[in-house]
Amino acid sequence: MKEIVVASGKGGVGKTTVAASLAVFLAKAGTKIVAADADVDAPDLLLALGGGKTISSTEIEASEKAVIDESKCTGCGNCVSACPFGAIVMDNHRPTVVRLMCEGCGVCKVVCPFDAVEVKKAVTGTLKIEDTKYGFPLVTGYLRVGEHNSGYLVASVKNSGRKTAEDLGAKTLVIDAAPGIGCPVIASITGASYVIAVTEPTPAAKRDLERLVKVIKHFGVPVGVVINKANLSDDFRGVLEDWVKHELGYQILGEIPIDYEVVKALVKMVPVTEFNPNAEASKILTSIAKRVKDEVLP
Amino acid sequence: MKSGGGASAKLLRRKRVSVPVIAVTGGKGGTGKTTVAVNLAVGLSMKDSKVMLVDADVDGPCCAMLLGAELSNGEEVKIFKPVIDAAKCTGCGKCVEVCREHALVGLEGQVPSLFEELCSGCKACHLVCEVDAIKSGQKVLGTIYITDSNGIKLVVGELKPIEPRSPIVARATMLRAAEELEHDKYDVAIVDTAPGIHNVVAQALWEADLALAVTEPTPLGAHDLGFMLDLTKELGLPTEVILNKADIPGGLKDKVVKTSRDRGVGIVAEIPMDEELLRSYVSGEPLVRKSPKSPAGVALLALVPHIREMFVKGGET
Repeated sequence: MKEIVVASGKGGVGKTTVAASLAVFLAKAGTKIVAADADVDAPDLLLALGGGKTISSTEIEASEKAVIDESKCTGCGNCVSACPFGAIVMDNHRPTVVRLMCEGCGVCKVVCPFDAVEVKKAVTGTLKIEDTKYGFPLVTGYLRVGEHNSGYLVASVKNSGRKTAEDLGAKTLVIDAAPGIGCPVIASITGASYVIAVTEPTPAAKRDLERLVKVIKHFGVPVGVVINKANLSDDFRGVLEDWVKHELGYQILGEIPIDYEVVKALVKMVPVTEFNPNAEASKILTSIAKRVKDEVLP
Repeated sequence: MKSGGGASAKLLRRKRVSVPVIAVTGGKGGTGKTTVAVNLAVGLSMKDSKVMLVDADVDGPCCAMLLGAELSNGEEVKIFKPVIDAAKCTGCGKCVEVCREHALVGLEGQVPSLFEELCSGCKACHLVCEVDAIKSGQKVLGTIYITDSNGIKLVVGELKPIEPRSPIVARATMLRAAEELEHDKYDVAIVDTAPGIHNVVAQALWEADLALAVTEPTPLGAHDLGFMLDLTKELGLPTEVILNKADIPGGLKDKVVKTSRDRGVGIVAEIPMDEELLRSYVSGEPLVRKSPKSPAGVALLALVPHIREMFVKGGET
């Protein structure tokens, strides 16, 4: 199975646009694929593909949360001071667990002298499989708001994607990752065959890419870089190109110009390569997808 | 009756600080959170307010870059990690049993092995060991930088690459900022959060009095804003929406308005597309200082009196 992950340190640089055009290109070129949206905080790939028909929807219980039995609790406060996440607060002399902060480590249960704490399974999010109108299925993870363990949900999304692919006889999984470098991103990159790192010519995006590269290198995954909104700053574009080629030693898969057709397509919820194949951005996105097909896929 | 898992955060949020805290957040990445946070901080500072700017987007902190500030002499964010004394360990297996992250692994009768990347630093193993064989070691998860930039106190949290636990670093950054707020008389603190809605964002919102949710008029922006507003609702945090790139060609302002209105939230500002904003972004000089009269500069500066109402008694002077 070839797993291609579209990632970026910084948010909003165009991961979903690149992932959508890649997936549609591959599907139209006759490659059997499955797409997976691993940006479980803000899953937008389905929207970029114009929605789909739901095949299945499953709740994932990967989280654990402390639950305090008030009949046993004396309000001693040991759990409040032991919690490393600030997730137990005193409310009216009673310790109360804040779901949004509890990571389920269970130290509260250990320090409770009265056996008043239990750690119970909780819902982390929902896993949905949808059939897109482009002839391939999309697996999406939806994180429950404020939840932890997004990495586990990402792993579930990937596992479900692999299984869906196996059932279809597909050997390619296109994964849209979350921005950043934390738990969900690490879970996306682990085991990947190739990372498409999307960036833009601004100092902030370059710095975030620099941090992402440290993570990717740690896992030893090959990388190709896409520079989006390439003519945003001509001066900084040169700096970025130089740095990617010479310092990182990565190839640049393509440089996409600013093109309002991309925004129009997004608003219409159609991949820009389908909305207007002759748009400047579409041409580059297609050539990027072709390169990935020729160079990365078997 | 049992409490726990589902307890409302609304009644539980306790501020550690008396200064008004405004969190800039938004759901989707790249909508302009940092641009709003930095320009709001500079705009307030230009009005002689004493401002702290906290960068709690620990995965990719960029406030310093946009302010043109240098960061140095960071303080390490450390958590506990178990160090097992093999000579004392009896292999009873209590620590292995209690570790819910499965960071400690070993059969009964064996000295357990630690998988450091899974450890949350909760200390449960240390607490259950009856023979004192688990000593307190330390693990560095990130760095906090504190600096002054043109009269603004900047507190930046940064996750160490390869470490997954952003929420712990975000929490440490907020605690450090709260401590710093006690040291001096600040008028206001602005917090820049990570994108998304998971607990790294919840940690950064915990201290806030007001959330400004920055979004853009696209289906994606509106979709992710919905999740964000659900999170601030659960936190019981008053929220206002800022529509960035408001005049993007073919934009879907109506969708953002509907998503907001359905949740009883109003749009407090609309920031137009502006090339000057881009230039300021690349040059590391905040727009409201570089080009205060540019269309986006005007829109960002219009937020300043709105925020000042939160702490200036008797109206604007």
